[in-house]
Amino acid sequence: MGKKILIVDDSESIREVVSFTLANAGHDVQKAVDGDDALKQLDGTAYDLIITDLHMPNKNGIELIREVRKMDTYKFIPILFLTTESQTEKKKEAKEAGATGWIVKPFVPDKLLAAINKVVR
Amino acid sequence: MDAQTQTNKKNVSDQVHTYLSFRLGKEVFAASVNHVVNILELKPITKVPHAPEYMSGVINLRGQVLPVIDMRIKFGMTPTEPTVDTCIIVLNLEIENEEVKLGILVDAVSEVLELEENQIEPSPSIGTKYKAEFIKGMWKKDESFIMLLNLDLIFTRDEIVVVEEKTNEADMPQNEETGE
Amino acid sequence: MEAFKQKFVEEATEQINDLEEALLQLDKNKEDMDTIESIFRVMHSLKGGSAMFGFEKIDKFTHILENIYDRIRNHELKVTPEILDLTFQAVDHLRKLLDETPENEQQLEQENKLFIERIEKALNEKTTPEHASIQDEPTEGKTKTYFVRFVPNEDIMQNGTNPLFLLEDLSQLGTSLIVPNISKIPDFNSLDPAKTYTSWNILLSTNAGINAVIDVFIFVDDEAKIETHKISDYNLLQDKAIKNILKDTLQQKPHIKPSEIHDLIIDLENIYQEKEEKQVKDESRKKVEHSISSIRVSSDKLDNLINWVSELVTIQAQLSLFNKENNYPGLDPIAEEIEKISRRLRDDVFSIRLIPIANMVTRFQRLVRELSNELGKEVDFITKGTETELDKNIIEMLIDPVMHIIRNSLDHGIEDSAQARIDAGKAQKGSITLNAFYSGTYVYIQIIDDGKGLDHEKLRQKAIEKEIITEDTQITEKEIFDLVFTSGFSTAKEVTNLSGRGVGMDVVKQKISELRGEVELTSKKGKGTTVTIKLPLTLSIIDGLLVRIAKTKFVIPLAAVQKIYEFTHKEIEESINNLFLADDKRVPFIYLRDALNIEGTPPEIERIVNVEFQETFMGLTVDEIIGEYQAVLKPLGRMYKDVDIVSGATILGDGTVALVLDPNRLINEYTNKENIGG
Repeated sequence: MGKKILIVDDSESIREVVSFTLANAGHDVQKAVDGDDALKQLDGTAYDLIITDLHMPNKNGIELIREVRKMDTYKFIPILFLTTESQTEKKKEAKEAGATGWIVKPFVPDKLLAAINKVVR
Repeated sequence: MDAQTQTNKKNVSDQVHTYLSFRLGKEVFAASVNHVVNILELKPITKVPHAPEYMSGVINLRGQVLPVIDMRIKFGMTPTEPTVDTCIIVLNLEIENEEVKLGILVDAVSEVLELEENQIEPSPSIGTKYKAEFIKGMWKKDESFIMLLNLDLIFTRDEIVVVEEKTNEADMPQNEETGE
Repeated sequence: MEAFKQKFVEEATEQINDLEEALLQLDKNKEDMDTIESIFRVMHSLKGGSAMFGFEKIDKFTHILENIYDRIRNHELKVTPEILDLTFQAVDHLRKLLDETPENEQQLEQENKLFIERIEKALNEKTTPEHASIQDEPTEGKTKTYFVRFVPNEDIMQNGTNPLFLLEDLSQLGTSLIVPNISKIPDFNSLDPAKTYTSWNILLSTNAGINAVIDVFIFVDDEAKIETHKISDYNLLQDKAIKNILKDTLQQKPHIKPSEIHDLIIDLENIYQEKEEKQVKDESRKKVEHSISSIRVSSDKLDNLINWVSELVTIQAQLSLFNKENNYPGLDPIAEEIEKISRRLRDDVFSIRLIPIANMVTRFQRLVRELSNELGKEVDFITKGTETELDKNIIEMLIDPVMHIIRNSLDHGIEDSAQARIDAGKAQKGSITLNAFYSGTYVYIQIIDDGKGLDHEKLRQKAIEKEIITEDTQITEKEIFDLVFTSGFSTAKEVTNLSGRGVGMDVVKQKISELRGEVELTSKKGKGTTVTIKLPLTLSIIDGLLVRIAKTKFVIPLAAVQKIYEFTHKEIEESINNLFLADDKRVPFIYLRDALNIEGTPPEIERIVNVEFQETFMGLTVDEIIGEYQAVLKPLGRMYKDVDIVSGATILGDGTVALVLDPNRLINEYTNKENIGG
């Protein structure tokens, strides 16, 4: 079943790759360029999953996750964040902010889809 | 009487029929004990919706579900009001080639009667309150009659046992048959 | 990925330009945190994207720079002229790397390595090695058994985690035994639906290796306590007896220590090994002997067994009730155990006789395939509800009648040519659907075709011809269709080879009567025909919801129950068109007190049980929900044969009789009638 997914990343190429991969797998993907943009898009639309980078200008990933968790409609939505291997501190912070899981960069399409399958069905 | 005739007479009247009599209102009826399984004290009856009024409901008889019929309603009277004497007679009947067990709700159980063939009078075909085909016969006890019921037939039909012209009785003078 | 490479190059080029500018800024003010932050971000972004789009060298290179700037922004390192210089050079280097071609690849590789070493030396920076992955067990594909204790934190769902997905993932790895521990679930009033109070003890036999098991929980390391132990090198769960022992152990001792499991396992392993050896012996013996996998049992014995089980269930209900009302110490666990055992006994004994109709469906599929080929008609055979179970004997006896009905549908029902169907506005392929479902205490089997249907006017004429009726006889459509089941009433022009083998619809009806069932036909000319077989369920026990209205208790088959809602009597009375709000949908409801003619005053608070039948929803109002109940169905008997909304009765633990409602009949009766009471 296709899900409604929001990809949040300030890097256009990442946005495009993720969006392309997920759309090919039958999902409905929307893009946001940073935390503020994401919050605007989340308001009023029912998403099934959020994928976000952590380092972005205008509200980074961690802040975004925190604020999303405060929203009634998104208290329990699965949230995945993009991270590089070496960022154990950030991982912990993101989890504490309320993230569900992560995807390690760089990732191949299969890895991306596998991570999504772990948290949303 | 000489011995021969006496024996003959006895042979004919040898046929003894045992009945269990019970009361509905002021009237007494009886059922052949061949049909009677046992007698129960009144227990909670679960009413089944969308059933005819004379079906009181069902009870639990040792793990079986037994339908119970309000005999008073079947006989055109007002519904049974439970008293300490009210009980349920469990009957075994044959209806349309099928063995059917059911209970009848009566105001009181009276006594077991052992009647000889010749004590039973045929039920009059006209003028009685109750449709003739349901009454096998009558027995006079003291001043009143006990009506012996044709149970198999009573429960085959949905109808009430009372004759429709019952209302005409009120106009009729001196009803000698009902013996009141 | 290649398609996005260009995009990345564009992006990266911009970012490198930004980097250059930032460095110039940094030169002027070496303490500027904002600038440092943005430099870090560029490194991070480049690192993240580069490996994705095939720029491994940039990946390695920016890795070390990212580390450095991370340390700087965490105040572990200060910006020195040396660092600035190196970073400026890095800008040039990065531009070169972006411009990589197959020709200069080798050269760039060298330069990259050297540059990285230079930075490392200068700053005593070590490129952190990649995470050492847990030494993978050489799996050899051998199935081993693991024990996992999964204790989620109460707030685990607030991370968007669904613990059930994790359990699903585990079970996908092999054979699993999942035993929940619900001891921490508080009573209903203190229960917070956003919290997780359940924990699980899991046994898993898999050949995927322990890492695969641990990996399942990779996201929830901080949100749960997880213990994973390999407890056996054997596939213990494949042995049913051992599986049951383990299941019972976990159920009885939810807090069992892994060491205790180890001890238990040693014993079980011995048993397992013995069995394995025995199996090997048996296998060789099997080739000679013909092993008995089933035994014949006389139906009478089975009937008796079923009767006894039903009585056991009934009296067990009494015991449970007695236990609840009296507080005899020590009686609780015994009563519970008896309930558990009698439930299992009931399930097993009843399942002896019942098999899903899917078993006979394969025969039909073959029939359709062969026939449709022979007749040159393209037909889809669809089956629904094949998990519906029927008494084995009944299934055997149904095969012939159903085969005949299907033959009829194929032969006379489905149009002769695809063109005829297209002309009629239908899909080219015909369809025959076999639909099986329960309703109340009956099983329905329908054979539905979308063929040309029966012309009931033609049938009427035929009946007049055969002098079954006269021209003036008043006859309903249903009665006309019933005529199809009378002998000799075939309307087929010729009795074809297939359908006319001395098996007519009259024989079908007879066979079904023998099963104490009924068969009915409905049809619409041009649209299709549906034959419905209705069979009474033989003595059975259903899972029901026990409810109360006034003094009477009713049982609603649990399979039909969707959800329960609470309303005040006033709200119900004032509802418009007898619709209630079920979550976000408006659903009609039947006011049962009226519908069932129950006297008395309704309580202030009433409940509505939302039931579903074949995609239609209906609410049923009751006073009180008592709870779940295993109802041993008893027929009401001949005297109540015309009452159909009550399909039977059951005897409760306290000896009173509760009535079993048939939601299907209720829904039918009240969706057709206008008077939905209330």
